[in-house]
Amino acid sequence: MIDFHTHTPAWRSASWLAGAAFDADEFISFMDDSGVDRAVVLSHDGLFDPSSQANDELAAFVARHPQRMIGFGSVSPRRPDAVVETERMMSVLGLRGIKLHPWLQGFSLHEAALDPICETVQAAGGIVVSHDGTPPYSTPAQIAALARRHPELPVVLGHGGLHDCWREALAAVAQTPNLYLCICGTPPYAARYILEHAPQHRVLFGTDAGLSDKPSQDYAAARVREIAGWGITADQRQAMLVDNPQRLLGGR
Amino acid sequence: MIIDGHVRIGQGREVELTADTLLDTMDRLGIDRALVAPDEAAIAYHNRRGNDAVTAAAASSGGRLLAYAVANPWRGRDALDELDRAADRGAVALAVDPVLQGFDLLDGLLVPLLEFAAARHWPVYVRTGTPPTALPMPLALLAGQHPEVRFVMGRSGATDFWIDAGPALRQAPNLVGDTCYAPWDTVLAALAADPEIGANRLMFSTDAPYTVSATELERVTDWPLTQAERLAVLGGTVAALLGLQI
Repeated sequence: MIDFHTHTPAWRSASWLAGAAFDADEFISFMDDSGVDRAVVLSHDGLFDPSSQANDELAAFVARHPQRMIGFGSVSPRRPDAVVETERMMSVLGLRGIKLHPWLQGFSLHEAALDPICETVQAAGGIVVSHDGTPPYSTPAQIAALARRHPELPVVLGHGGLHDCWREALAAVAQTPNLYLCICGTPPYAARYILEHAPQHRVLFGTDAGLSDKPSQDYAAARVREIAGWGITADQRQAMLVDNPQRLLGGR
Repeated sequence: MIIDGHVRIGQGREVELTADTLLDTMDRLGIDRALVAPDEAAIAYHNRRGNDAVTAAAASSGGRLLAYAVANPWRGRDALDELDRAADRGAVALAVDPVLQGFDLLDGLLVPLLEFAAARHWPVYVRTGTPPTALPMPLALLAGQHPEVRFVMGRSGATDFWIDAGPALRQAPNLVGDTCYAPWDTVLAALAADPEIGANRLMFSTDAPYTVSATELERVTDWPLTQAERLAVLGGTVAALLGLQI
């Protein structure tokens, strides 16, 4: 099972959802307890302050268990060094993709500054994950527009539209071949509907682990357990948790 | 006593829940009572059908189900007549959904319904979520305009407007939060620990059929609370809103 949406601890910059301190070994314990074999790990500080330091610290965290954790970094897209930092994190740091959080980081997906960053990620064989589900600047159709500008780049809706934009997420995925949908914080009825109607090979799952007040990441463990109550088929579960993320990550 | 503060029964767009299925789930999970609102179409348009369904379900439940009344505020005088009819049939609270019903919490359309609720001592459940018309902070302003009405912040702004839930609850003392979807270890614990809020201003709900009901109950039973706090969240808060003795 691959959890496609988790976070490091917030070491320095979070003043909301800061969560508990934990080290890489404790995070592996959470993964083991929840049956998670591999996790895509996103910077937590990078959500609030996408700096090279945040990328360095993320890379050091995932390097403790490189077979289990896959790091995705962050940049502030309007900064003059954004492309250089993207190149650095994909090559020197060995990260596998980039996480965008447009409403926390303060940009629109339509801004041209994102294009050379996406080209850099694509050239390195990486993946873009974006927060979604939150108007005004993190809606699925906006992210799909970015994906259409870069049709060879895999782009992941990090939250499947959350509570109020999940229908938009489903429609966007259906019309955008390089767009993937990660069910993460999406309500169970929407998850069930998405799994029935989305292209089955482009649905992923994430817990958003890393934000808990406890190192054991109790809410994330509950989200894994909750899947049993969604009312989905064994094939859908296998595709979402194993086959699709494995295929998407491929050699990344 | 465990009281589920909000479920919807009937046929929704992607979901369905019958009263019998709800009662079976309540038996399985040890939930004593539940407040039931009607389905999405009934909230938006077919108000009478919905009110008939939930009040009938409540009447035949042996006291286990309690009915929310619904009326689209765009209906004006007809909305009040419909609420009157629902009250006569046993409804005990008002549920509104500004997204499904197409109004702005602060455009004035809801005022006559709130005056009706105040006169009946009904709490008012408001579904919250994302912009522009379902946010916690405008609900706090509305609550400030109607201090005589007790409001429930349905879904507490899930998910990205959980950050607004605390400020909204601090601003409006006549507003209580809702536990559904909110992890205790990231969201609920902070609200309960806030000296201006506390556990007795949080109401447990499953929000069935949109959720996994067992998971919604577990997020409260797993939460390390004092017994008094847990009793408040699981039933005391909503019982106080309704004037129920438990």
